[in-house]
Amino acid sequence: MTAAAASAFARPRRSWGRFLPLLPVLVFLGFLFLYPVGQLLWLSVVEKGSGDLTAAHYARLLAVPVYSKVLLITFETSAWCTLFCVLGGYPVAYLLATTGDKWRNNLMLLVLLPFWTSFLVRTFAWIVLLGRNGAINKWLQALGITDAPLGLIYNFAGVMVGMTHALMPLAIISMVSVMENIDANLPRAASTLGARGGQAFFRIYFPLSLPGVAAGGLLTFITAIGFFITPALLGGRQQIMITQVIIEQVQDLMNWSFGGAVSMLLLVSALFVFWLYDRALGMSTLAGGSPASQVGDRGTWLSRGFAWVGDLATAAIGRACDLAAVAWETVFPQRPDKPPVKIARGVLWATALSVVAFLAVPTFFIIPVSFTTEGFIQWPPKFFSWRWYDTVFESPTWIAAIVRSLTVATLSAGVAMLIGTPAAFFLSRQSMIGKTAMLGVILSPLIIPRIIIAVALFYFYAKLGLIGTNLGLILGHAVLAVPYVVVTVMAVLKNYDERLDQAASSLGANRWRTLWHVTFPLIRAGLIAAFIFAFVTSLDELTIALFVSGGLVTTLPKQMWDDALLKVSPTLAAVSTLLLIFVTFMILAAEYLRRRAVHK
Amino acid sequence: MTKHIHLGKLVLGRRKVLKLAGGASLVLAAPAYWRKLSAQEKTIVVRDPGGPYTKGFGEAFYEPFTKATGIKAVGVAGQHEPTSLIKGMVDTKSYTWDMALLSRSAHDQLISEGDYLEKLNVTSKHIETLPAVHKAPAYLGNDVFAAILAYREDAFKGKAAPKGWKDFWNVKDFPGRRSLRKHPFDTIEEALLADGVAPKNVYPCDIPRAFKSLDKVKKDIAVWWTGGAQTSQLLKTGEVDMCPTWNGRAQAAIDEGAPVKIIWDQMVWSSEGWCIIKGTPKADMCREFVKFAVDPQAQAAWTKHVAYGPTHPEAYKFIPAERAKVLPTHPDNFKNDVEVDNVYWGKHKDKVTEQLNAWLLA
Repeated sequence: MTAAAASAFARPRRSWGRFLPLLPVLVFLGFLFLYPVGQLLWLSVVEKGSGDLTAAHYARLLAVPVYSKVLLITFETSAWCTLFCVLGGYPVAYLLATTGDKWRNNLMLLVLLPFWTSFLVRTFAWIVLLGRNGAINKWLQALGITDAPLGLIYNFAGVMVGMTHALMPLAIISMVSVMENIDANLPRAASTLGARGGQAFFRIYFPLSLPGVAAGGLLTFITAIGFFITPALLGGRQQIMITQVIIEQVQDLMNWSFGGAVSMLLLVSALFVFWLYDRALGMSTLAGGSPASQVGDRGTWLSRGFAWVGDLATAAIGRACDLAAVAWETVFPQRPDKPPVKIARGVLWATALSVVAFLAVPTFFIIPVSFTTEGFIQWPPKFFSWRWYDTVFESPTWIAAIVRSLTVATLSAGVAMLIGTPAAFFLSRQSMIGKTAMLGVILSPLIIPRIIIAVALFYFYAKLGLIGTNLGLILGHAVLAVPYVVVTVMAVLKNYDERLDQAASSLGANRWRTLWHVTFPLIRAGLIAAFIFAFVTSLDELTIALFVSGGLVTTLPKQMWDDALLKVSPTLAAVSTLLLIFVTFMILAAEYLRRRAVHK
Repeated sequence: MTKHIHLGKLVLGRRKVLKLAGGASLVLAAPAYWRKLSAQEKTIVVRDPGGPYTKGFGEAFYEPFTKATGIKAVGVAGQHEPTSLIKGMVDTKSYTWDMALLSRSAHDQLISEGDYLEKLNVTSKHIETLPAVHKAPAYLGNDVFAAILAYREDAFKGKAAPKGWKDFWNVKDFPGRRSLRKHPFDTIEEALLADGVAPKNVYPCDIPRAFKSLDKVKKDIAVWWTGGAQTSQLLKTGEVDMCPTWNGRAQAAIDEGAPVKIIWDQMVWSSEGWCIIKGTPKADMCREFVKFAVDPQAQAAWTKHVAYGPTHPEAYKFIPAERAKVLPTHPDNFKNDVEVDNVYWGKHKDKVTEQLNAWLLA
C-alpha cells in the first residue's frame, strides 16, 4: 500500500547521478574485497609453476564426493540453525517490539548478552554446562530424572545449541528493528473491523514483519555457513564444515589453488541458495518493490506462487486461531465481572522468556566461574579468588587488547555504516537491473571464508604499506561488516513510509534535513541494529587480525586465543565478565542520559 | 510514533559517539607499533607460539640475549602453523617477523613449497653436540613434543589400567569413554601401533591397514577433538577416560590436580625449532640469536613453563628431577618412540586428510 503509492509517486530519474549512493560500496568492496580475493581465487584455475589455465582443481572437487558431502552438511546445519533462530527468535522480537519500556530495555540487554562474550568462551561454557559431568547432567541425575548422563553434546544437537545461541541475537535484532516500525494502529484497525487477535496478528502484523524475518534469516544463514569452531568443539564425528576444509587447504597444506576451488564451490552454491531465496520469498520483499502478497503482476511465477500459498496459510492460521478462541469462550464463557484472561499474551511471555533464558544462561554461568580458584573453566567453580582479574589488570597486554578491540570495532562499524547505509537506501528505493546480483556481491564477504580474505588482504596491504596498521585492521573488519549494515538497513526501510519524506520536503526541508530530522530518527532502530552487528563482527574477529597485524598489534580475540594454547583458563571468563559489565554500563548510561535529555 | 524508536533508546547519543570517537582516535594515533620496531636497527621480532611460551621464552632467551648482545629480541605470538603468513611475508617482502619458532612439519613445508627460509649456517660448541635429528640447514630444534596416551586414573580404580595404544583399541577389556584426534596426524600412527606395527616400521604408513584398525573403534569414540586446549578440558573434567594428546596439554590438566596419567611408551613425537625467514634484513642478528638460544642452560630454563622436552641432552643437568620426569626427552621416557616422518606427511597429507574426512562421514 504505502510502498506502492510511494513508488508511483517517485518518478525514476534517468541520470547516472542516481547511482551515486552505490559508489562508496562499489569502490570499497572493489578494492578491498573483489580485487584481492579475485586474484587469490584466480589461482584455482591456473597451474602452479607454468601459469597455464587448468581445470584440474575443479575436476578433483567433483571427482571426490567428500567435498560436496561436506558442503551439503554445512548447508543443512546452517539451514536448521536458521530455522531455530527465526522460530525461537520471533516471539522474543515480537515481545520486545510490543511491550512497555521498562521490560523491553531489560530484556534487550539479556538478548544482547551472547554478543559480548567471545565465541571461544561461549563455546567452552556450553562444553562445561552440557558435558558428561556438566551442570545440566548433574542436576538431571540429582533430581532423579535420568540415571546416566545424557549425550547432550558431541553430536548434531550440541552444534545446534552452540550455533543457535550464537546467532539468535542476530535474528532477533533484525526482526525487532522491522517490527518496531510497524504501526500499532494497523492490528487495532483490524480488530475494530471484527478480526480477533489471531486474525489481526496473522493477516496484518505477521506479513508486515516478514521483511525482518527475511533479513534475519538471510544474515543468520550466511553467517552460519562460516562457522567452524563451534561445530568442531561441540559436534561429533560427522560435523565437518566446509570452512574447516578450506582452512586446512590454505593453512596446513599451503594448497591455495585447491583451497580457492573449494571456496568458489562454496560461493557459487551459496549465491545459488540466495538466488532461490530471492525468487521464492522475494528478497524484493527487502529490495524495495512490495511485500510478497502484493507482488502481483511484477513477481515471478515462483514468488507469486509463494505469495498465494503464504496468503492462504496466514489466513487459515488466523481463522483457526479465532475459531479456537471462539471455542474456548464457548466452553469457558467470559464472566463480565472479571477482566478477560489474556491467554495468548501469557503463552507469548512464557515462550519468549524461556528463549531469553537460553540466551542468557551461559553468560550467567561465566560470571561465577571467573571467581574460581581452579585453573580451568569448570562447574561447579571453587570459590573464591580475584586471581584471574589480577592477571588481567596486571597485564598491559590484556588491557591494551581490550582497548584496541573496542576502538577498532567502533571505528570499523562507523566505516561500514558510512559505506553501507547509502547503498541500502539506493537498493531499497531505486530500481535497477541486476539488483539481486548486486546484493549477491555485497553478501559475498560473509560467504568467502575469512582465511581467504585474510591472505588476499595481506598481499594487497603489503603493496600499500598497511600491514601492521590499525587502519588496515579497521578497513579489513569493515569489509565483513558492510553486508550486515546493508541488509539490516534495507529491512527497516522496507516498511518505511516514504510519504513522510515527501511531506518534509513539501514543507521546505532539503534532502539532507529530511534525512537527518525525519528519516534517520524513524529508522534509528535499524541503524543501531546495523551498528551493533558491525561492532560485534569486528570484536570477535580473529583471522584477519592475525594476518594484518602479524601478531604485533594485539586484539582481544587474538589475546584470548593465545591464552588458550594449552588450556582455557578462567582468565577468559574474567575478561568476558569485564567486557560484559563495561558494555552493559555504557548502554545503561546512554539510556539514562537520553531519559534526562527527554525530561528537560 | 514514539514506538518507532524503541531499539534506539538503548543507544549512545550522537554527541557521545563523537566524543568516544575522539578518544578512540587518540589510541589509534599511537602509531603502528611494529613499524617502529622494525625500523629500529638492533631489534629482531621472533614469532613464538604465545600463551605460556611467552613468559618462558622471555626469561630463557629474549631477556638474556638482549643483555648479552644489545640486540632487542621481541617475541610475538602468531597463529598455529603460520606457513601461509610466512609465505606472504617472503613473497611481498613485508617482514612483520624476522624469525620464528616453527614445528618441524611447518619447516619442511616451507622448504619444499619454495624457498621461504634462510640457511642458518651457524655453529657453536652446543650446536655441534645437538643430536643430529634436530638439525637441518634451515632448522635447529629447540623442543620436543610428544603425542601420548593420557587416561584418568580414577576411571580405572581397582581395574587394570591401559598401558598403550593396544589397550586403547581394546574396548572389551578396557571399557571407558574414548576420544581421538579428528586429524590424520598422530591418529594414523596410533592406529597402526595399536594394530601391532612396530615403532620403527610405522613409516611409510600402511593407510588401508590404519583405516581397518580405526574401523574397530569407530563407534566407540565419544569425542573427536580438534584443538589441544580441548583435550586438557576433556581430561580435567573427566568428560572422557582416555585421550591421546600432546604431553604438554595433559600436563596442564595434571598441574591443576587432575588424576591424569601419561603413558610414554610408543609416544609419537616431533619438534619445534628456530628458523629465519628468507630475505629478512636482520638475518645476521637472527643467527646470533639462534647461536645464543641453542644452549642447554637456556633450554632448561623455559621447561618450567611448558612441559616440552629440551632437544639438548645436557639441558637435563639444569632441570630439577621432579620436572625432568614429565618431559618427553627424559631418558626414562624417550624410548620405544616414533619420530614423526614429516617428509612422508608432506607427500601424503592432502590425500589422507581427504580419506579420513570421507571415513568420518561414512
